[in-house]
Amino acid sequence: MLEVRGLRVSYGAAPALSDLDLDVGAGELVGVVGPNGAGKTTLINTLAGLIAPASGRIGLNGTDLARLPSHAFCAAGVAIVPESRRLFSAMTVRENLELGSYLPRAKAERARSLESVIALFPALASRLGTRAGSLSGGQQQMVAIGRALMARPSLLLLDEPSLGLAPAVVETMFAAVRRINAAGVAILLVEQNIGMAMELASRAYVLEEGRVVLQGQAAELMGRPEIRKAYLGLE
Amino acid sequence: MTFPSLGLLSQSVLSGLFLGGMYGLIGLGLGLSWGLLGQINLTHFGFVFLSAYLCYHLTMVWGVDPLLTLGLLVPAFFAVGVVMQWALARFRVSTFNSLLVTFGLTVMIEALIQKIWTADFRKLQTGYGEEKFSFLGLYAPLPELLTLTVSAAAAGGIWLLMRYTDLGKAMRAMAEDAPIAAAFGVNARALALLLSGSCVALAAIAGVFFALSFTLTPTQIFSWVGVVFAAVMMGGLGNPLGPLLAGLVIGVSEALAMAVFSPSWAPIVSFSLLIVLLLFRPAHR
Repeated sequence: MLEVRGLRVSYGAAPALSDLDLDVGAGELVGVVGPNGAGKTTLINTLAGLIAPASGRIGLNGTDLARLPSHAFCAAGVAIVPESRRLFSAMTVRENLELGSYLPRAKAERARSLESVIALFPALASRLGTRAGSLSGGQQQMVAIGRALMARPSLLLLDEPSLGLAPAVVETMFAAVRRINAAGVAILLVEQNIGMAMELASRAYVLEEGRVVLQGQAAELMGRPEIRKAYLGLE
Repeated sequence: MTFPSLGLLSQSVLSGLFLGGMYGLIGLGLGLSWGLLGQINLTHFGFVFLSAYLCYHLTMVWGVDPLLTLGLLVPAFFAVGVVMQWALARFRVSTFNSLLVTFGLTVMIEALIQKIWTADFRKLQTGYGEEKFSFLGLYAPLPELLTLTVSAAAAGGIWLLMRYTDLGKAMRAMAEDAPIAAAFGVNARALALLLSGSCVALAAIAGVFFALSFTLTPTQIFSWVGVVFAAVMMGGLGNPLGPLLAGLVIGVSEALAMAVFSPSWAPIVSFSLLIVLLLFRPAHR
């Protein structure tokens, strides 16, 4: 479904991603891990249209998104939960969710999507009229995920959904990710919390300095002690 | 200082409200483009005066009804706003530089007006100016009444649009985080063109009602900048109701200051209000 080939992104002269190939199959949950500065957020942002790649192909369901303007990505079926959430903080929770379903195809399903977001995150039910900026971190993360789901994506891009959250809230978040994936939405998950990411993902890519240094079945990568130690920083 | 009669005071409050309606109408487009596009568009004042002079010309030379000139001026000025936004975006003009660029444009518009219509005072002579209503001993000229009504309707209408339509929500989202709004399908470039066109069209509307109520002279452009800026800043950037509400407060305080003290007190009152409000209002956004 997602087919990234030879993706290059640079900030000025500095390359951030070089010759990156990556695939996500329909309904698959794929993890991307790696140290800080490896290019994980750059990858997610490029796939969401926030950054224009220097070259390469971003094939999604047969169309190449790489040359399209950023507002065309969502229509093709991508939705992002960006790093540090980036909610529209002056707008209400309801308005944030509605904005996720801004495009006609998603708007037609708005009422139903809103119901399923509330079913996924019941805590949001009583907060719909609240300014998004005044919510707790965990609830803001729920709104960010909800906003992306309102777009009815076939591919959900999740950038560090556990960042800055209390362990109990992280559990809730990962349970939600699992349920979203079980409903048939393909997910590309970037995480610092490698243990959690590898547990959720069926396949994973290890990024270092803007390149894929390792890829494979998550369980297999986790099962090899030398890989755990060298690439994942686990004992 | 002699304390004026109740009748004179009420008349002052009323004319203050009317003046406030004008402040609000001029400030509406200025505040929207400032708050939502990040442009401090001084040309807004030039456009208001250009529209006022064009309305004057169409009415006095071609015999068009001044209110009908809106049918021509609004779409024409909308197009100008679209072109201006295209150019500002094309050359990536920053907020501060937009202040300088649009100041330059305003000076050019002033020179153009001076060239075509000279520096003489011009007053639109129409039937509207003669019409006045009186109730409870107060006196309300039709042009001022129209200005206040249109100002309230425009501010209220745009407030409803911004609050309840997807287009309005998209504009607010774009103002806060344009890249993320784009990631959800908002075409920020097209919305900016639409918004800029609408703001300049609002300047055209303000200009027509300005011509109905005020005597025109080109150098006056800059005498409106200060007080309308005060209204926009007091009302909160990007909030469509703000400039009108702040404009009414300023207009009434000015009128009362003029009645109780002397006319020269008016600007002192409006800017003291602005400073006090900026000091004590909790930071917006």
